[in-house]
Amino acid sequence: MLAKMMSYGLIGIDGIPITVEIDIARGAQTVDTVGLPDNAVKESRERIRSAILNSGYEFPQMHVLVNLAPADIKKEGTVYDLPIALGILAAKGAFPAMAAEDCVIVGELALDGSVRSVTGVLPMVIDAHDRGFRKFMIPAANADEASFFGDIDIYPVKNLIEACRHFKGSCPIAPHPQLDWSGHKTHYAYDFSEIKGQQAAKRAAEIACAGNHNLLLIGSPGSGKTMLARSIPSILPEITMEESLEITRIHSVAGELKGRGIITERPFRAPHHSASIPSLVGGGARALPGEISLAHYGVLFMDEFPLFPPSVLDALRQPLEDGTVTITRAAAKTTYPAEIMLVAAMNPCPCGNYGSKTKECRCSPLQIERYRNRISSPLLDRLDIHIEMNEVDYKDLTDRAPGESSASIRERVLAARLRQKERYRDEGVLFNSQLSTAQLRKYCRMAPDAEELLHTAYDRLKLSARGYTRIIKVSRSIADLDGSDKIEKKHVLEAVQFRGLDEKYWGSSRG
Amino acid sequence: MDYNLRDRAWIWLNSAVGTNVRLADELIFINDGLLPLFDSVRKGKPIRLPASSGESLLDTLKKRSDDRSIDAAISKLDSIGAAAVTRDNADYPNLLREIYDPPTVLFVKGKLKSSIRLPIAVIGSRKCSDYGRSMAERFGRELAKKGACVISGMAEGCDSAAALGALSVKVAEYPTIAVLGSGIDVVYPSSNRKLYDAIAERGAVISELSPGKRPSRESFPQRNRLISGMSKGVLVAEAGLKSGTSITVGFAHDQGRDVFAVPGRITDIMSAGSNQLIKQGAAKAVFGVDDILFEYGVFVIPEEPKKEKSVLSDLSPKQKMIYEELMLGEKTADFLCEKLGFDVSEINIYLTEMELSGIINRLQNGSYSIQSRT
Repeated sequence: MLAKMMSYGLIGIDGIPITVEIDIARGAQTVDTVGLPDNAVKESRERIRSAILNSGYEFPQMHVLVNLAPADIKKEGTVYDLPIALGILAAKGAFPAMAAEDCVIVGELALDGSVRSVTGVLPMVIDAHDRGFRKFMIPAANADEASFFGDIDIYPVKNLIEACRHFKGSCPIAPHPQLDWSGHKTHYAYDFSEIKGQQAAKRAAEIACAGNHNLLLIGSPGSGKTMLARSIPSILPEITMEESLEITRIHSVAGELKGRGIITERPFRAPHHSASIPSLVGGGARALPGEISLAHYGVLFMDEFPLFPPSVLDALRQPLEDGTVTITRAAAKTTYPAEIMLVAAMNPCPCGNYGSKTKECRCSPLQIERYRNRISSPLLDRLDIHIEMNEVDYKDLTDRAPGESSASIRERVLAARLRQKERYRDEGVLFNSQLSTAQLRKYCRMAPDAEELLHTAYDRLKLSARGYTRIIKVSRSIADLDGSDKIEKKHVLEAVQFRGLDEKYWGSSRG
Repeated sequence: MDYNLRDRAWIWLNSAVGTNVRLADELIFINDGLLPLFDSVRKGKPIRLPASSGESLLDTLKKRSDDRSIDAAISKLDSIGAAAVTRDNADYPNLLREIYDPPTVLFVKGKLKSSIRLPIAVIGSRKCSDYGRSMAERFGRELAKKGACVISGMAEGCDSAAALGALSVKVAEYPTIAVLGSGIDVVYPSSNRKLYDAIAERGAVISELSPGKRPSRESFPQRNRLISGMSKGVLVAEAGLKSGTSITVGFAHDQGRDVFAVPGRITDIMSAGSNQLIKQGAAKAVFGVDDILFEYGVFVIPEEPKKEKSVLSDLSPKQKMIYEELMLGEKTADFLCEKLGFDVSEINIYLTEMELSGIINRLQNGSYSIQSRT
């Protein structure tokens, strides 16, 4: 008595087809699972026995052998519960195994036979779709995750009996209704019009989004850094279906979907500064994606930036450069995407009151210098735009008219991004922030008076060499927002405003 | 450098008792003078010791008294390019001799003079505001222009700014002296290395601590008595309520020196200390360098106000509006946006333009103020 079911596994964020073979033969009444199962898979036999019995079926009083093929790949998790249970039932003749032949089945079983949600459904569906599978039986709770594909049938299943009857043909499950992407509307929890005042910071955010520059916010507690950061996803271009699927894929693998179905807004991730390297860049025993990948196509907000351990900050550099993270573990090597916009926030000093007119700063100059020096210069190199934020008077807040809405800023950002895409179509980069030195020379042509101005600024403001390059990149983005092919004097003049930490704050270098 | 017998005796005593000036003076007093004391110790004759000190002092005195250890101390000074100016040396500052506990030996880099023309100390918080820094710098410069010598501690903030201001006057012959709270060869903070060299070249860097001594919690207040002691007057450029400057001001009062203070806004916590000094009558409020010079009978010719071309004439109408707004006090770009109703990128452009032409100043918190003109 042999039965075969199709199921799916994961390697990193890629799906891989797994064939579940069940053989029921005379022998000791045991269930043996072979094919590199991990503990969760091995334990499944106890769940399956209960689920089958509690659903009113008989569990075979014979030797059951479960083989998961290909046998040389480690199988993890609980997705195989449902296909194994169905395989046993099919082998016993509860329904013809042929009926389930072309259907990919995943799902975890509860002891009462109901089907629980699993992680990683979307990447499995994407891969299976590429390999020509068109039928999927997945837990009802995961059904929304895969509902944007056009030409597949999703059978959401709630319990074992339903699944069995479906394949038997006695009571087929209706395919999950497909959702139309064009009908979806992104909901933004925050809007720029809600931020009163802070014009300079909002402008900095707009420029940062236009050129995909990383942003550093410097300000006392209460100056609105978090609010600004949270609103940034709302001025990024609207999410596309491809982006949405890729984001959902990562979140699905990490088990971060939590019943949300597909993710239709740009992620905003705000890890605490006690975060470890594995939680930030990814890793752990199962090489799961970290915060930086979960923020893919969105914003990674790191408040109290200098308080992150230096090792963690250093681990950020490579992903920021490459847009991907590669995690190597004994078992597997996995690459996760990490195209993010980093928004870092910090106080001007450890106590937060430095430079304030009303509150006294209690830090020693050495403490302040140490605090600032925690951000290494290679990392500072990646933060193109710095902006100081100051507390806005409460009285002011109530008086002010609402600012510009995110929607109209978003349009400008999108236009600027399209200009860049067009300009760099042969270069393999998308944004001004990614330009190499050679590309900088090629694409950042300046008007003569702009060039001259840049030299003056460099001398007078005692900028560093890297500060100089940053200003050119930021000028390029300002010009793009302005719809200009050439970098003009006014663009450079504005870019100089965002130099922030480049200037020395203490000591004798300023006379 | 050559040292005579008395110098060598001072160097010996200093190496044995360090900065404990009272102990040194007591030893000299009860043993009828420095040379008799030196002689007795070297010849192994009994000397009188102060009641409070034990045999270990005698041991140290003996151990350091042979020619070899004194020569070693002198050659160490030579190797770091410093000199020892003892109390008997002709270059020892006269004003310092007057204080209660003048150091037995001053270690000097640069040139020290016995009578310095109008030495004025400029002190203030290490962690100062932009206002404090610019005031220290301005008074330092103006004092040096009038031929005064600026005494400071070469700390971060006001001290460094005052020294830089004085050094910026290229024609000044003897613009500034720095009194360190560490050994003469220890630059603290280390970022002031350039400043240290510049002061040593044109003025003097001095310290009463033996070479190599790291700065400590106690060494700075100790040093402050020398800053006020060397000066005729002490100017507080900016001080908060809890600041090291109050120690220096205390010494200045004890030593009978004049105290001046630059007033700040009454709401400004960074100026709370200096304002309090003025309020209590402990310091004279100064509004310009002339207010200091006047006290010392330096004849001040009131300068004809120069018919300076108004900075406003170069500005566009919108920039003028920004300028006028900044005249009322420092403002952030946000505030200017709201108040004047200009576009934020426009504001950004104007601010950079005006900053680069030196009309306005960017402050620590990213806001702007008018560049003060003197």
